[in-house]
Formats: sequence, C-alpha cells, structure tokens
Amino acid sequence: MTEEIVFKTEADMPYLPMSLGTTLVNKTGSWRYIRPLYVDKTPPCNHDCPAGEDIVGYLALIEEGKYKEGWELIMQENPFPGVCGRVCPHPCESECNRRELGGAIAIHTLERFLADHTASQRPSVQASKRYDAKIAIIGSGPAGLACAYHLALRGYPVTVFEALPVVGGMMRVGIPEYRLPREVLEREIADIEALGVEIETNMRLGDNFKLSDLEDYQAIFIAVGLQKSRKLNVPGEDAEGVIPGLELLKRVNLGEEVQVGPSVAVIGGGNTAVDAARSALRLGSDVREPRSNEVTILYRRSREEMPAIAGEIEEALAEGVKIRYLSAPIELLTENGWVMGLKCVKMELGEPDESGRRRPMPIAGSEYALKADTVIPAIGQEADTSFLETGEQRLIEVRRGHIFIDAAGATTRPGIFAGGDVATPFGTVAHAVGSGKRAALAIDKYLRGEELSGFPPIDEAVHAVPKDMDPAIVRFDDLNPAYFEEIERTEQPQRPIEERVSGFEYFGWAQYGEVNLGFNEEEAQAEAERCFNCGTCNLCDTCLIFCPDVAIARLVAPPYPVPLARLNGAGYEVNYDYCKGCGVCAEECPRYAISIEKEIKWKK
Amino acid sequence: MRLALKALGEKTILVIPACCWSIIAGAFPYSSVKVPLMHTAFETGGSAAAGIKAALEVQGDTETTVLTWAGDGGTFDIGLQALSGAVERNEDFIYACYDNEAYMNTGIQRSSATPWGAWTTTTPVQHPKETPKKDIVAIMAAHRIPYTATATVAYPEDLVRKFQKAKGIRGAKFIHILSPCPPGWKMEPAYSIRISRLAVESKVFPLYEVENGEKWTITVWPKREVPVREYVKLQGRFSHLTEEDIEFIQENVDREWERLVARAVQ
Amino acid sequence: MEKVIMGNHAVSYGAKLARAQVIAAYPITPQTQIVEMLSEFWAEGLLDAKFIKVESEHSAMAACIGASSAGARAFTATSGHGLALMHEMLHWAAGARLPIVMANVNRAMGPGWSIWTEQTDSLAQRDTGWLQFYCESNQEVLDSVIQAFKIAEQVLLPTMLVLDAFVLSHTQEPVDIPDQELVDRYLPPYDARYKLDPGDPHAFGAMVAPPHYMELRYKIQKAMEEAVEVARQADGEFREIFGRSYGLVEKYRLEDAEVVLVASATITSTARVVVDELREEGYKVGLLKVRMFRPFPTKDVREALAGARKVAVIDRNISFGHGGIFAEEIKSALYNGSHRPPIFGFIIGLGGRDVTPASIRGIAEYTFEHDTPEMEIIWREVKNS
Repeated sequence: MTEEIVFKTEADMPYLPMSLGTTLVNKTGSWRYIRPLYVDKTPPCNHDCPAGEDIVGYLALIEEGKYKEGWELIMQENPFPGVCGRVCPHPCESECNRRELGGAIAIHTLERFLADHTASQRPSVQASKRYDAKIAIIGSGPAGLACAYHLALRGYPVTVFEALPVVGGMMRVGIPEYRLPREVLEREIADIEALGVEIETNMRLGDNFKLSDLEDYQAIFIAVGLQKSRKLNVPGEDAEGVIPGLELLKRVNLGEEVQVGPSVAVIGGGNTAVDAARSALRLGSDVREPRSNEVTILYRRSREEMPAIAGEIEEALAEGVKIRYLSAPIELLTENGWVMGLKCVKMELGEPDESGRRRPMPIAGSEYALKADTVIPAIGQEADTSFLETGEQRLIEVRRGHIFIDAAGATTRPGIFAGGDVATPFGTVAHAVGSGKRAALAIDKYLRGEELSGFPPIDEAVHAVPKDMDPAIVRFDDLNPAYFEEIERTEQPQRPIEERVSGFEYFGWAQYGEVNLGFNEEEAQAEAERCFNCGTCNLCDTCLIFCPDVAIARLVAPPYPVPLARLNGAGYEVNYDYCKGCGVCAEECPRYAISIEKEIKWKK
Repeated sequence: MRLALKALGEKTILVIPACCWSIIAGAFPYSSVKVPLMHTAFETGGSAAAGIKAALEVQGDTETTVLTWAGDGGTFDIGLQALSGAVERNEDFIYACYDNEAYMNTGIQRSSATPWGAWTTTTPVQHPKETPKKDIVAIMAAHRIPYTATATVAYPEDLVRKFQKAKGIRGAKFIHILSPCPPGWKMEPAYSIRISRLAVESKVFPLYEVENGEKWTITVWPKREVPVREYVKLQGRFSHLTEEDIEFIQENVDREWERLVARAVQ
Repeated sequence: MEKVIMGNHAVSYGAKLARAQVIAAYPITPQTQIVEMLSEFWAEGLLDAKFIKVESEHSAMAACIGASSAGARAFTATSGHGLALMHEMLHWAAGARLPIVMANVNRAMGPGWSIWTEQTDSLAQRDTGWLQFYCESNQEVLDSVIQAFKIAEQVLLPTMLVLDAFVLSHTQEPVDIPDQELVDRYLPPYDARYKLDPGDPHAFGAMVAPPHYMELRYKIQKAMEEAVEVARQADGEFREIFGRSYGLVEKYRLEDAEVVLVASATITSTARVVVDELREEGYKVGLLKVRMFRPFPTKDVREALAGARKVAVIDRNISFGHGGIFAEEIKSALYNGSHRPPIFGFIIGLGGRDVTPASIRGIAEYTFEHDTPEMEIIWREVKNS
C-alpha cells in the first residue's frame, strides 16, 4: 500500500503512534540530481577485434557452459573461429584490462576452444530469404570467404573464383600446418559452402577469366591478396637455393617436396619469416637427427620492432631457430649459380620512420659474412594488379600498390568492391574477415539501392549483428579493482619441442603436429572466469546488494536468456521514485556497466 | 539493515533507540520495514529488547529474533549501561550497532566512537578529537557473551553470515557495523562502500568475531593491504591532519592489528 | 486466606495474583522486599513470569515497555530516586499507551539522603500520563495492584499505586490474600489490541509531526477522563467479588461537617482516628480521603466538599515555589464549581517525620480557629527558635 494516509478527524487516527502503511508513499527519488543508468560499454577486446567479435559476450557464455551459443555468437561476425583462434595475432589481448592482474585473458585460445568444442556440430543459422542478384567473389582467402559467408547468410547466391587448386588462400597455403591444421580450415570452409556458396578453383583472374566475363553478376568483390614477394634488391638474389618465404610455405602446404640445405638464412621479421624459418627447421629434421640444419633469421631492427606474433617468435627460438637482430644482407654470395652465403651489415636504429618504428641505419665497416646454402627472403608481399591493365577496368583506381576503396569497401567503379590484403594494409586473417564482411554489408546495401553510408573507418571493425553498447571503451581505471583478484593467465599446453620439429616420423612428409594444443574444458572455464566482463552487466548483483534505497530490482532470474552478457540494462530496473542518486551503484559496479547522468530537471 | 533482515528472516522484531534510523524507519503513520518495530528512548536499546524477548518467551514464542539496531551514540555512550546490563544478563537478542562515529542525527557532534584526530562540530579542526575511539568490541567481549563481531556493508557475505550465525546462538550477541555517513565524514555518498572497504583493507576496522569472549577469529583477511592514508584521504573530516598525524594513526592501527592477530586463532 | 504481611509483600502478592508476566525491577530501599518476594515466588515456581533483574530503574521501565509492547502483562516497583530515574520512560509508557502497572514506595528525594516517606517523588510524575492511586493499608495495596491492571488494560494507560515508605512498606498488617480463582474471574488475561507481532507488523513510536501529535495527546486525555468511570466500575466489580472496595475518594463522617480534612495514604488512618475523637468532643469535622490522584476525581471532590465551610488539606509533599500539591489540586478542582470554601494548605511530615494524632488535631484546631488561612502554605511542626 503506497497511498498517502489521510486522517480527517482524530477519530480516524489510531490511539497510539503506530504505522499503518509504508514509507513508500514518500517518493525520495525527488531528492535526486543524478541518475544511474545501465549502459553496457565497449570492452577493449571487442573494440580491438578486427573481425568485430563480441568477445566478452562469448567469454560469458563459456563461463555458463554454453559453448554452442558462444560459438554461434562468434559466427554472427566471423566464420573462422577455429582459424582465428589459432593464427590471429589477437590484438584483442593487447589492451585487455586483465593485463593488470595476472595477464591478459587468453582470448584466442578460448575462441579456438569454442570452435574445437563444437567441431562435431554445424551452425543452425540459415538465410531467411533468397535474392536473385548474383555476386562474384575473386579469391577464396579469408576476405573472399567472409564476404561470401555474410552475403550467403543474407540470401544472395555467391560464386567464389579461386586461382589455386585449393580453397582458403593464405589460410591454406601461407600458414604452416603446425599452426593451422588443415581439417580445421576445411571444416569452416565447409560450413560456408553449406550455405550454398559455390567455389570454382583453378580460376585465376587475368589468366582464366577477365572482369568483363562477370557481367552476369550484379556485384563483384575482389580479394585476391598479395601475390608477389618483395625482392631484396641485392646482388645474387636470383641464384639457386634462394626461395621466397611465401613460395616455400605454399609448396610445403601444397604437398610438394622442398629441400633445404644444412644452413638456412631467412631474411625478415614478419610472420612469414618466422613461419618459413620454423618450416625450414622441420624440413631439415628427422627423428634420428632433429634440427640437423641451422636456421637463422636476419632482421634489420631489434626484437622490439619485430612484427611477427611474439609467441611465435618465442616458439621459434625454443625450437632452435636463431635470430640475428640488427642485421641486413647486402649481397648473396654465390658459387656456380648456387647461393653459398650472405654478406651482411650490422645496423643501428635511428629516428622513427613513417611506420613509427625506428629506422635501421647501416653501421659503416660492420660487414660480415654468413654461411648459407638456402636463403629465404621474407620481407613482405605486394599486390599484383596486372589484371586491371586492360580496357574499362582502368576505372578501378590503384593507390600505392593497393586497390583503392572507401569506407564501404567500394572501389572507384560502381558495383565492384575490394578487400583483404589487396586493398588494406593490415595483413591478418581477422582484418581480412572484417574487410570481407564490410564489403558484404555494403554489397547488400548496394543491391537494395541504399546509400553506402554509415560505415566506420577502414581500421575499425564492422558488425553484422550490432550489439547494443556505448562506444566508450572501458579502461582499467573505469573498473572497480576491489572485486577482482590477481589470477595468473592460463596458457594452453604445447606439443613437446622434439615432437614438433621431427614430425616426419609421426605424421608423414611435411605433416607436422600442431604446436598449440588448446584448452580442455576445465582450463577454458578457468580462463573465461578471469574475464572482468568490462562494461558488461553480468547480473553480479553488486548494485542490488549495495543500493541503500532498495531502489534496484532484478528483472531476470535463471534460466537466463542467451546471451546473458548482452542484457544491457534489461537485467535490473532502477525505481526512480526512490533512487536518491547517491551513485553507490555506479561507483561499486565492478565492471562499469552503470553510467551516471545528470537530471535534466536541473538544467535551466 | 536489509542484509541483516534478510539474514534473520520475517520472524524478527526490531528495536530502534534514538538514532538516524529513528528517521529512516519512517514517520507516523508509516514504516519502512516489513517487520514489527519498536522505537524507544536513546539509552534503552538493551533493556527494551530484553523486555520484548521476555514477553515473547512468556507467551511461548521462542522463534522470533529480537534485534536492536542502534547508533554509536546509543551504544558507546548513553546506552552503554543498558547494553552492558542486557548482555551481562546474557539476554537472548542481537544488538547491532551501526557506527558512524559521531552524533550525526543531531548535526555531527563527537561521540566516544569518534576516532582520534577526526573533525566534528564539537571537535573543530583547531582542536580535533584527542582520544582514541572506544574499543566497544573489547568491552562486549569482556562480558564473555557468546558472540561479538564486527562487520561492514562492503563485505556483505561476511555481514550476512555473522547475522545468521548470531541468530543461531542463544544469548547475547553484539555486532558492530562501521557505517560511513557522507555529510558527517565529509565524503562523496558514492564512496560509502569504497570507504568501508578501505577501512578493512587499511585495518582501521578489521573484520573479526569473538566467541565467548575467548575465541578471536579474523573473518576477512584483506585481499590487499593499504596504508591508513588511503582511507583517510577520501574523508574531509580528516583533511586537516598532517603527515605526522596520519603516521601516528598508522602506528596505532598497526599496533592494534598486531594485537588482534596475536590473539586470533589462526 | 489471611496473613500478616508487610506492605511490600502485599505488593508482591498482588502482582503474583494478577499474573504479571514480565517483571523488571531494580532494588531500592524501601522497595526491596517487593522484588525479593517476587524472586522467591518465581524461584519456587509460583510465578509464571520472566523476571528481568535489570541494572537500573530506567532499564526496568524500558524493559516493561518492551514487554508490554510485545503483549505481556508487565509490572515493576520502585521508589524515590528510582522513580525519578525512570521519568523519561514514564512519559514513553503513557505515550505508547501501555498498561504497565508499577508500585512506588514513596520516598523523600535527596540530598541529603533520605529513605523515609514523602509523596513528592510520585507527585512529581503527575504529568507523565500515569494513573496514580495512593493506598492507606496493606490490604488496599494488594487489592489496588489487581484493580490497577484491570483499569490500565481498559484505558490503555500505565498505572502507579503508591504506598508510604516504612509506614506501610515495612509495617505488618493482617491482609486477606484472595483466591487466585477469584482474581482470575475479576482480571482476565491481557489481550493486547496491538503488539509487536511478526504476523501483523507495525512500527510503534515513530516520529509524529505537528499535524498529528496533538491528536494523539488529546486521545491520552480522553482516556484519562474515561479512566475515572472505569476505575469506579472496577472498584465496584471488586466489591462484588471480594466484598471490599475503596472508592476513588472516601467520604468519612462528612455529614454536616463544617471543617473537612483532606488526606491521602497512611495519614488518612491517623486522621480518621482524630476525626472520631473530635466528633465525640462535638466538633463538626469530617475527612475526605483522596485515593485516585490521576485522573483527578474532580466531580467526586466537588460533591464531597459541597457542604464544607472550610477545607484543611494535609500534604506530605511540596511543590517548591507553590505549595502542597494536594491542596493546589483541591483548589483548582473547586475553582470552577459553585461552592468555593476557604482552603487551608498544611505541609507536614516531610522526609518521614511522624504525623501523629496530635499533629492532625493541631491542623483541625487551626482550621476551626481561623476563618481564612493566614498564609498560602501553613507549615506544621517546623522547629522555630
């Protein structure tokens, strides 16, 4: 009973001072000049995921044991959780607020866990409608397939043209199997094909067909990647025994026999260099004499600047790869047309260059020689846009070696979109997935005659299923550390080094066991529980417990809706009749899921 | 209060001597609680509860818990005699003192619960309180009552557990709850919980319990330890303190903590 | 069953027979035997009550308030300084409308310390909202305890019965101790209209703001007014069952009395003897005993004094700066009436000094000798040089 009690005469009153109703009649909310609001904010991991995954969302689902739902939450944005959970450099982890208390969450391992744990299941999502407009996608790498996936989900018939006899682009031929087992990739590609996506292999644009052959298609997405390896531009580069890193990886991945000499030098500091070095190590090993060759990476800057994934560098070193920092080749030494060694120069770091990294400068007189019978340059790739050289295809503008696109992924020619490495500078699977998704969303709009506006800048993620959250990014200082203890990060187990590098005996030619072994369920739970759920209400009840006005009510009870992590304000209700605006709920919220707003009524 | 009543259940009768809760509980003809409540005079928290408990028992009700909910003034000062009498007789009730360390209802005058160095309207900054806070828990424990405990709302599970434990014990139970008062402590209301937590983390207000006056147990070992400065700096009532003053408080807190640890069962 | 017992024990028997359920008391001379005997009753299992041996009278009253609020019949006893210490809680008990019964053994206030009788302690509590009865004999004490519960529980106000220190409290008299069965018939178990009950939760005693406070005070006064007739009826019912009654006032030989002595408590007994003597000597003198002081039986007093030419009020108490309290009360009771005889206010026997038949005779003679009082306060037996 919350009505006011009115006594007209003394006879209406009790004879003693006793209560006949509740103080709820006193609407103390009128004292308030600030009000709390449940507003989910953007966790740094979500913000930094190039593929636009709702990471906190699926970590919460892992905690709840809802693995299929977690996997499907990723699949809303990225059809390659198994791939990305293995090969992504996980920028999500670099800003993870857990860093402060025991190390960043092992997000990539958890993503992989979801993919592996649901390996026997297939996604339940299907296109709800069918369009007639056909779309051609050139390149079956992560960008092309992600674009195909999102378009197929929206009901478009899609055909993917792939130059190689195998599907997957760099995921298939650029990443060694010990990092990405083939069946993982094949499973995720199969899921895309299951949506009706057609893939035609051995169809190289420019050789087997031209853009003008694709007139039946209402939109085209070009995602051909970077096909040309950059040259060292030093004498002797064309000698026998020199094999570009990507070429080496591709041949190994296509099952060709590749011989490397006892002394291998790899030039470069990126993932391709590290992958090539570790592959070379494996190629030169057998079980009787592991690591019988010597593999050395030459990198012209220091470890700090090395762009390869840190964990991969550590694994390479552990396996026996040597790295010479601040060294660059100035000549390949040859004999009878075969490479015999390198002439190198030592470097020092000068002022930062346009990439922000310190520019390496040769130290005069520091030249030295290094023995090498195989030299693997891996200093990057370039786009091969020669297919654009004829006719009206010139209308597609190329800038600095990349096809130029706008925020929607559209090229300068209407109906033609581009993405992945041929159009963007990022070079990761996750970025390519994001890029393909961006184009898919844009193509959908284009085909429905909508304006291609509203896309975020190219270096930010797009979302196929936008999650309702404030774009403000939650930083450690926004959290309430009182609720979190320091807990060490869980690392996934790894295959023993001896077993990794002498894979032949175990797996057959060039079949190496996967280095990282992933989490079991217990490890995944433990790691997911470390998540702070930054900016994300997870019904912890802290606000409810501490509200001194008893003005907060919980709206949901178990069993919780899925995903729990995206209640975003639907979990609790603030009764503003009684909330006095003390701010305790927002101050105490462990994860900054409550905002404080000034009451408008005080504004003049 | 909500946590305490949650722990004790509907079969509870509240006794509220003059304190802030005399207002919070609601003015005639309203009540803010769903259990029966008796307002009573300032110094009668112990005695009025004893009368209620006796009346229940003589009428055959042995289930209902009688809970006195009193401020520090009503407990440490004016009500100490009746409290001492009631607990010495081992009356079967729970006496909870929510301690905001001064007479807040009357406008922030010092009480014997006011800590050393604190500003109040009767201990102005030119002449802040020169004596330490009365150790009410030791006084209660010295009565050899079955259960004495400290609690703060910043550690709700600990608080609820202590009320539940108290409910299950026959005889006199005393629970001392530190309760920040934003105007009286000159602090942001939003910091109420944070400051309560800092009180524990800085060991200004350790969480422990004493059984039968003999068995001392620290119930919450702070997850992180912070200097007293962290606690003091959020409160305007301490803003006049010099570094030496804070150091002095720190030394006292350290000494008290060592004493507590020494007599606590490990 | 007749027993020779002291006044204090008469109180104890009364509380036992009234089936007091919660007793909270603190010892003070000259009240201690009340508490001691109740403890014995309780220890022997003759008393189905909870006995709270509190650490002060203030707590005694607070505990009674708690007990009564929770629906129990509550009883306590005190005296002098103990009553003064209770003062705050006396207001509380009345404001909370709790039918607590208390025996107060009249004791003079210090300093200097005095343990002897004087009425100032209880009369000083006249504005607290308690009913007050002044008893003359140990039998009346016992009977009044039982009547007090009967009245209090009907009007929902606390009730105090008062007896003189030593003169009654420690003086043995034959007392008829009624059968429990008869007492139970007279006084049914207490059934509180509102109490602290988890099944029907209410808050009692909260802040009352000006829009409501006055009405609650008005209701207390209305209950006091009602108490006059309730007390008369209770006394009448008592007579029916036990064959004894005391009235709100007692009119003794008032027929054709020119001078009426007004007395209370044990002085009444002495005065009764003196009136008899004076009547034999031919003086037209009578006695009015005021038993119920709060509510003040104004109607009964006016009626009793309707034929008096002069009224002599004997006060063993004093309101400093004004006078004897009974005298002032009698004056104010008559002022708005049609008959306003001169009222002589005598102060006598403070601090337990004996009030003898000669003292009373002196007062009566003084009154006969003077048409009007020479002064507002007539001090008797003060040592003069």
